[in-house]
Amino acid sequence: MKRVFTMSTDLYSRMLDGLSNLFFTEKLGVDADMNFYRNDFWLSDSAVIESLQLRKGAWEINLLFAHHKTPLKFLSRRITSHSCPKRARTMAFYMRRQAAKDQRGTLTLDLNDLNLTLN
Amino acid sequence: MNSLTTKQKILEASIRLFNWNDVANVRLQQIADETGISVGNLAYHFKNKEAIVNAVYENLFEEFSLILSAYLLSPKLSDFDVQMEQYHRFFAKYKFYLIDLFEIERSYPHIMRRWQDSVSKMMMQIRKRLDYYLQRGMLLPEPAPGVYDSLANTIWMTIVFWVPQQVLKEKPIEEVYFKQSVWSHIRPYFTPKGLDEFTHDVHPITQF
Repeated sequence: MKRVFTMSTDLYSRMLDGLSNLFFTEKLGVDADMNFYRNDFWLSDSAVIESLQLRKGAWEINLLFAHHKTPLKFLSRRITSHSCPKRARTMAFYMRRQAAKDQRGTLTLDLNDLNLTLN
Repeated sequence: MNSLTTKQKILEASIRLFNWNDVANVRLQQIADETGISVGNLAYHFKNKEAIVNAVYENLFEEFSLILSAYLLSPKLSDFDVQMEQYHRFFAKYKFYLIDLFEIERSYPHIMRRWQDSVSKMMMQIRKRLDYYLQRGMLLPEPAPGVYDSLANTIWMTIVFWVPQQVLKEKPIEEVYFKQSVWSHIRPYFTPKGLDEFTHDVHPITQF
């Protein structure tokens, strides 16, 4: 005779509680939930530099975005990786040009904007 | 494929006979006659009556599990109405279960244990459902401790014993009367919000 799956009373009770709670915890999303996506818009107004790092035998291309007015607002994103360093450099160059608002790279950061204290 | 169909026919015929005569009074010859096959052919598919009873109960538990799995598929009151519909169909199909309860307990204790397990799950679901409707503001706060426990028990009794008591009274076992009986227990505890949802979603179906 095939073995019957059984569940203890306590566990079954907790499972039913969980099912009931689903309708209270899983609610429809609100507009503000998508803010994380909209907040990415500042990336289009940023200075971009590329960074190449050898990781696990492949050259990883990272792009560093920094806001041109408030440089402390910055973000590093891994884009892709390539096994050949020369190709990775070329790819990183074009990636940076695609990502940067100012493709010629004239958008620069002012060191004073960083408000660094040297003591 | 053909063998499966014959097996299914045998089981269907057995359920019909169990409902008419109860499990203990049905012989293999009767099952074979009802199926329209010879006893030899019947023995090819099921070696004895115990095998048939086990297979019938296996189907029964499978169907019952399907009903239990339909717990809170939607947050509305109509979800319970849909489950009630399935309970009604189940208890109308397997009318013999109650008549044979003591026979099953004596001769097939493993089946009895599974029955008790399924029934306790059903009972628990009803109680949790009441809690859920209370949380949603569909039911009034419990008037006194234990009232909703008793209500859950009453609902359970109605669902399980409604069909046999109608048969006993020689009354129709139509689904609409069954649902009315169950809802009539819950209705006095509805909040205005609960009553509103009931009137819009469930009432048109149950035709109170």
